[in-house]
Formats: sequence, C-alpha cells, structure tokens
Amino acid sequence: MQKTTTRQRKGTFVLIMIGLAILLFIGLLLSVFTGVASLEIRSLVTHWLSGEYSKELLIFQTIRVPRAVLGAIIGANLAVAGAVMQAVTRNPLASPQVFGVNAGACLVVVLAIVFLADIGKANLIYFAFAGAILGGLVVFGFAASRGMTNLKIALVGMAIHLLLTSITKGIIIFNEHISNVLYWLSGSISGAAWTDVQLILPWSIVGLLLAIWLSGSLSVFRLGEEVAMGLGQKIARVRLLSYVVVVILAGSSVAVAGAVGFVGLMVPHIARRLVGTDYRVVIPVSALGGAVLVTISDVLARLISYPFESPVGIVTALLGTPFFLYLARKKGREMV
Amino acid sequence: MKRIIGMKRLGHMLWTLALAGTVLLTGCGSAEQKQPAAGQDSGQTAQKRIVKHELGETEITGDPKRVVALEYSFVDGLWELGVTPVGIAQEKDKDVEGLIGQKIEYIPVGTRQQPSLEVISSLQPDLIIGDLNRHKDIYKDLQKIAPTIILKSRNSTYQENLSSFATIAEALNKQKEAEQRLIKHKEIIAEFKKRVPAGDSRNVMLGVFRADSLSAHGAKSFDGELLEMIGIKNAIQDVAEPTVKISLEQMVQWDPDVIFLAEADDALLNEWKQNPLWNNITAVKNQEVHKVNRDLWTRYRGLKSAERIVEEAVNLLYSKEK
Amino acid sequence: MTSRKNTLLLMALCALVLVAALLSMGIGPIFIGPDQIIRVIMGESSSLTFMIENYRLPRALLAILAGAGFAIAGVILQGMIRNPLASPDVVGVTKGAGLFAVVVIILFPTASPLLLPIVAFLGALAVAIALIYFARKSGAQPTTFALVGMGVGAICQALTEFIMVKYPMQANDSLVWLAGSLWGKGWDEIYALLPWLLVFIPISFVLHRKLDIISLDEGSSTGLGLNVVRTRYMLLLLAVALAGACVAAIGSIGFVGLIAPHMARKLFGHQHRYLLPGAAVLGALILVIADALGRGLNPPIEIPAGIVTAVIGVPYFLYLVRQEKRK
Repeated sequence: MQKTTTRQRKGTFVLIMIGLAILLFIGLLLSVFTGVASLEIRSLVTHWLSGEYSKELLIFQTIRVPRAVLGAIIGANLAVAGAVMQAVTRNPLASPQVFGVNAGACLVVVLAIVFLADIGKANLIYFAFAGAILGGLVVFGFAASRGMTNLKIALVGMAIHLLLTSITKGIIIFNEHISNVLYWLSGSISGAAWTDVQLILPWSIVGLLLAIWLSGSLSVFRLGEEVAMGLGQKIARVRLLSYVVVVILAGSSVAVAGAVGFVGLMVPHIARRLVGTDYRVVIPVSALGGAVLVTISDVLARLISYPFESPVGIVTALLGTPFFLYLARKKGREMV
Repeated sequence: MKRIIGMKRLGHMLWTLALAGTVLLTGCGSAEQKQPAAGQDSGQTAQKRIVKHELGETEITGDPKRVVALEYSFVDGLWELGVTPVGIAQEKDKDVEGLIGQKIEYIPVGTRQQPSLEVISSLQPDLIIGDLNRHKDIYKDLQKIAPTIILKSRNSTYQENLSSFATIAEALNKQKEAEQRLIKHKEIIAEFKKRVPAGDSRNVMLGVFRADSLSAHGAKSFDGELLEMIGIKNAIQDVAEPTVKISLEQMVQWDPDVIFLAEADDALLNEWKQNPLWNNITAVKNQEVHKVNRDLWTRYRGLKSAERIVEEAVNLLYSKEK
Repeated sequence: MTSRKNTLLLMALCALVLVAALLSMGIGPIFIGPDQIIRVIMGESSSLTFMIENYRLPRALLAILAGAGFAIAGVILQGMIRNPLASPDVVGVTKGAGLFAVVVIILFPTASPLLLPIVAFLGALAVAIALIYFARKSGAQPTTFALVGMGVGAICQALTEFIMVKYPMQANDSLVWLAGSLWGKGWDEIYALLPWLLVFIPISFVLHRKLDIISLDEGSSTGLGLNVVRTRYMLLLLAVALAGACVAAIGSIGFVGLIAPHMARKLFGHQHRYLLPGAAVLGALILVIADALGRGLNPPIEIPAGIVTAVIGVPYFLYLVRQEKRK
C-alpha cells in the first residue's frame, strides 16, 4: 500500500518534471524568437553551418539566447530561494521580495553604483550579497524567534522593503543621471549578455545544489521544530545553511537582473500544490517552474509596449500579486 | 470613576484646543500676507506691461534687473540678452559655467526640481522665470515673491524654446535686442544648414548610455528636431516619445549611419563593444561614432545651446572630409 | 493615577511640539533665531516677515497637521487589524494614492496643480474599496485586510514603476512626490487639509472605546456587543480618510503612521483614549523635525521629508522588531 503511493508520487513527479521541461523548452523558443528583429530558423541554420556573417545569427547568438538562458536561471534561483524560505520559516508568504532580501540587495547595489564609480558588474554581485544579507537578516532572524505569527513576519518584511526602497529612491532623486536604475530596480534582463550568464551561473549551481542537498532536512523542518529536533536534525545548522542558500540565490539574481519580485512567492506554492510537501520533490519542481515563469514573463515584457521593452519584474509582479491576494484570502485565517 | 472621565475630557479638550489654536494661527497668517517690498521702487515711472505665458498673464513694471532663472534654457536666454541672473536653480556647480562658457556670479537657489523659495525670496528678485513642467505647482508662491512667468523648457521642442526666448525678452523689455538676436540665430543656423549637403541620406542616432540601456533621442526631442531642421536625419522617426530606451538588438535593427554618443556610463558601452554585432553597425564600421557634450545635448536647451549643438554636429559630420 | 500621568505627559509633549516647531522655523538656508520668530508671529514686521509667514510657519503647521493625521490613521489601522505593524503605507493606502498621482504627474504633465490632491485621495479610496471588497468574503478578518492591503499595494507599485520606466524623463518629478515633501507647500494645503482633520480626528476620539474593544480578540469584541464587521469597515474608512487627506496634501510620507503609534504605546499604554492624542502629538513632532532636517541639512537643496522619515525610521524600526521579538 505504502509502496504504491510512493511509486505513484514518483510517477507524478516525473510526469510533472517532463511537463515543465517541455513548457520551459516552449518558453525558451518563444523567448528566442520574440523581439524587434525577426529571425528565421532556416537562414539561421544555413548561416551557422556556413559560418559566414549574418546579423540575424549574431542577434540570436549574442542577445536572444543569453537573455533566455539568464531568465531561466534567475527564475530557478528565485523560486528555489522562495521554497527554502517558506520551508524554514513555515510561512506561506516567505519569499525574497516579501522578506526584504531583494530590497536590501537593491539598496546596496544602488549605493555602490552611486558612490563607487566604475565598479564593474562582476564586483556588484558581492555588494548584492551584502545587501541581501542586510535585508534578509532582520526578517529572517525575526522569523526564527518563537511566538511570531506569519502575518507579523510578513508585515515586518513589507516594512523593511518599504524603508529600504524609499532610501534607494531618495538616492536616485539626488542623482538624476542614475534615474535609469529605476528600470533595474523593478527587475529587468533586457540587456543580458553571456557575461551575465557566466557571472551568475557558478553561484546558481552552488546554490541550487546546496538547496537540493538540504531538501531532505527541509521536509522534516516543515513538520515543526520539535519534531525536527526529535528526528535528530541540527536545527541551527540547517537554518544557517538555508540562509546562505537564499543569500546566494537571491543576491546573485539581484546583481544581474535587479529585483524580480513574486517569483519566489508564487512558484513554491504551485509546486506544493502539484507534488505535495516533500521538499526533495518541491525544490526541483520549483526550479523548473520558476524558470518557466520568468522566461514567459520576459516574453510578455517584450510585448507589452512593443517595440520597446518593459522590465520583466513588472510582469511577474502583476502576475504574482493576484496570487498573493488569493493566498491572503485562502490562508488568511491561519496566519493570525 | 468620575475623575477618570474628567481627565479624559481634559485630554480631549487639550487636543481640541491645540487644533483650534492652529486654526487661529492660520487665520492670522493669511490675513497678513503681503507682497515683499522688493523691486517696487526700481522702475515706478516705467510702463507696465502684460506678459502672456503658459499659466496666464503677468504684469511686469519697468526693466527687470534681478532675475531668477529656474531652468538652464532661461539662463541661456537671459545671458544672450545681456542679463546675468541673480539666482539660478542648478544641480552641479559646474552646470552654469558649462552652459554659458564662463564663470559668473550668482546665488544657487537649490535644484531645478525643488528650488528653495526661501532663497529666491531673500534675493528680492523683480522677475522669476519657471518651467511649466517643474514649477507649475509653485507658480502661486513664486508670484507672491515677484512677477513670475512660466514657460516651456523641460521636454520642450526647439520651436517652443524660440518662443520662450521671445517671451523672456518681452518680460525684460528687450524686444529689440531679442529680435536682432533671433535674426542672428537664424543666420547662424542657416549657415550651418548650408554645410549639410542636400544629398546626405545618413541617419543619426543620438544616445545617452545609462546603466542598463541606451536612451535615444528621437526626431521629436529637442536636439533631434533641431538637427532634422538643418537636414540631418534622425534614426528614430515614428515614435511619439522624445526619448526611448533601446537595447543593442534595437540599435542593430535601426542600424544608424552615425551615432552621437553622450556618454554617461562606460560599463554598458564597453559591454556592447565586446559584441560582434556592435562592430557591424554601419556607424561603427564607418567610424562615425562621435562623443558629444552630454550636458549640452541633453540638459541645457535654449538659443545659444541650440547653436552650439548644431555647430558640434556639423563639425563632426562634415569638417574633416574623408 | 495613570490617567493624570498621561495627561501631564500629553501636555508636556504638546509643549515639546510647539518648541520643536518654533526651532524648526529657524532652520533652513537662512537661519532665524527663535526670538525673532516669536516677534514676527506676534505681528512685528521685519525683513523676515515674508519668509516666516509664507514658508516657515505654514510648513511647520502643515507638518504638525499631517504628522498628526498619519499617526492617527496608523493607530486606527493597527487597532483594527490587531497588529502593531500595520500602517497606511504597509497596507497599500498610500501606494494607491501614489499610483494615481504618478498617472497625473507623468501622463498629464500640464494638468492643474489642483487636480493632484483630489486624484491622490481617490487613489487611497480606491485601495480602501478594494480592501473591503476582498475582505468581505472572508468575514472582514483583520489578517485578510493586512494581506490584501500588501497585495493591492504591490500591484499599485508595479503599475507605478511601469509608468515611471516608460517615461524616464518625468520619473524624477514623481519620485519627489512619492517620497513625500513639504517643499512648496503652504497655506493652501493647510486649508485643504484642516477640514478633514477637524472632522475625522474628533470622530476617531469619539470612537476610542470601540477601538479598545476591537483591538481585543474577536470573541471578546462580539461578547461586548459590538458589530465587529461594521466597526471594522467604519474604522478602515476613517483611517483612509485621514491618511488620504494627508497624502493628498504633502505626498506619501511613510513611517510616521507606523512609528508614532509605537512610541505612543510605549509612553501611554494601550488605551486608545490616550493612544490617539499621544500618537498624534508624536507624529506631529516627528514630521516637524524631519522637515526641518530636510531643509537644513544641505541648503539650499531640499531633502524630501519622506526620505528623512525613512532614514530615521530604519533604526527605530529595527529596535522595534527586537523589542517585539523579546516579548
């Protein structure tokens, strides 16, 4: 009996992973072929084979593909970060955006851009890490203490988010030349290049592997601290590692793409709805689901005010907030 | 129990009293508002004029000498008419020097976005010139300090700049000087226009590099319109907004023949330069990427600035024949 | 005994606000001594009369009024949502106002300045209506109010950012409004704001008992014969009217509505009859100081008061979170 359900579970998991992979593939195709320049597969292939210069092929290789790949990576990062946060805090609202991790990273990055000229994109990532720690420390630390309702934690996160973004905006007011940072504050991958992918990929791999490694402990964690402790989990260690994972995943994403919000909130919920609460399964499903979400959102971002681009973060926020409202109504009572 | 209620009442009454006090003060303040004495005795015999501007009509007496300019294009206009503003709204100290080409004596009155009314009033000006976009909300306050005219500067077209210049002249009572200056301006522009060969079909992209994208000035921007007028075509024609953000892909798609680059952020340019696509843009291939003065092309506007922009453009495009 | 202590404390704070307002009037690009200010207010005319009467005095008064308004709105929301971390900005009221205002500032740049406050107020109201609509179905649960507020706020913010990104040239103008600033504000705003406060602040004082009850748990409120749902709607609208009017007057200044109620709770305890006036006075104090700092730190450049409150707000908020955690 037990065995069949596990097998069934495994079956659905594999099916869902395949389904998501197909969706991701479609999303990537859409992403690669959406834009002001129209590309034709046949001419791309012939030029690629012949090796001669072609504007279309170069656009494909150096703009469209890295952008699609970057979107997928960021989506996976943020979704997994959200899943880990939700597991550790047992708070359905936990996510890098709601908990102020994104806002913290943004503030420090903007500070670095303003006060340290020519900082270079490669170094920004460390500032983003520092900021993610700063923003998350408060809420995360707060969430770890007992007697805190989920709602309170979410409100603390929101307030921190508001405080940090108003300071960021204040800096922008007095530095008109960086007003374009705004574009990036709401999250955008319009200028993605292979260098960005190179920058984020190692961090992303480390973060995602760590998350998968932790996933077993996280599942137990979800049952409650007492149970977890009873099952021999080292609570403090798991929590610390989870925190490191969140900072790596969310921080590196903010460094290359700004604060793309609500991915980390939405995707883990949908993943749990699909495959249950076992985090060994939820984490990979979230990773793929996040990749799909951001890839498709980025396609939409290109179409909203075509031929000009909108930040992808606006699309994810517009998709994410109705979901947030749904959660609020569905789970409102549990969160007091 | 009774005592508690009494105390409660007292608390409420205190608060109500405080509010009532506020009302009283408010009343007093408004009753005593009056015009500052400044500038009234300077030209009492001179004729009064009504100057029409974007927000109505303003009566100006005599020839204003102490003028506060809240946008750079107004400083440009005033300077060309021989008036040094006493107060200028600015962001950086070197802005004004870059605008008129030399150091002048003036008092900074804060940023263009939020000029300090206090400093302006302490200068006791006899004319204030503000921008429709930025200063319409404080028009009434400025009017209390001194006669104020509100003109279009920010996001204004070239033609609007010319008519603003005429209005400034009217307010200064220097119409004749302005007429001459406008004639000279048209000659200068026409002179440069002659240097643009009629058959030149090259299109030009005007852009500022920002942190993550290029903001390109289209045909409807101040500088875009100006260059169109002398026959230099803009690469971005059918866009309603004066400025648009474009990615490298869009840049490649528009494929400008010439790029005027007002550089602000090296990082993005360096990134684009690494991409082979960049090297295949016609402008890059033909080595027609020119750096231009950013403040001049994007922030100053005004009569003299227009001449300088045209001069820079024509010199870059046609002086060194290849 | 506590009531006498509270009344004395309230009086002392009122005096403190007056002193702070007086001193703040001296701060700015041109420094003015308090003695001179008093003389001018008493009617003596001097070269500084114009500046004091037109800028310093109205700004100080407006800071007092709006600070009080935001703080009371915060107390009401915190009581109603039964959560000490709620505030007009956290539940999205000021963000709705911000979205509507940005639409006017950026898409209709030549619109009359009179339109902006009205539209901003409508924005706040729209959020309130959305809150009520969503909360209705779950029986007006306080949690739902808070969460729905955050969600609606996030939508408003995303749309605001979209507009600002689409029109980057005008984005900076709206940033100042969004941050909240008393720059260029004066008697007109006072006249516009005063009637609202004169009506709604007394109403909130009258309702202080209901606030006491509703901030208890659900069962007790019903047990004490209160129509909980209707009271919540009423309180929400009251808070929105206050916060909306203040936002309309001076832009969306944040954190006064979050922090002032907390300070008040520390000083005056949990009874709303003291909490409301106490928070109002503290809110006024915070905003007066923030505005004076914004004007005086780097003259003639003005730092929007809302940014100053945010910078002050962060450390206090962190302290607050620590305190909450200890409990």
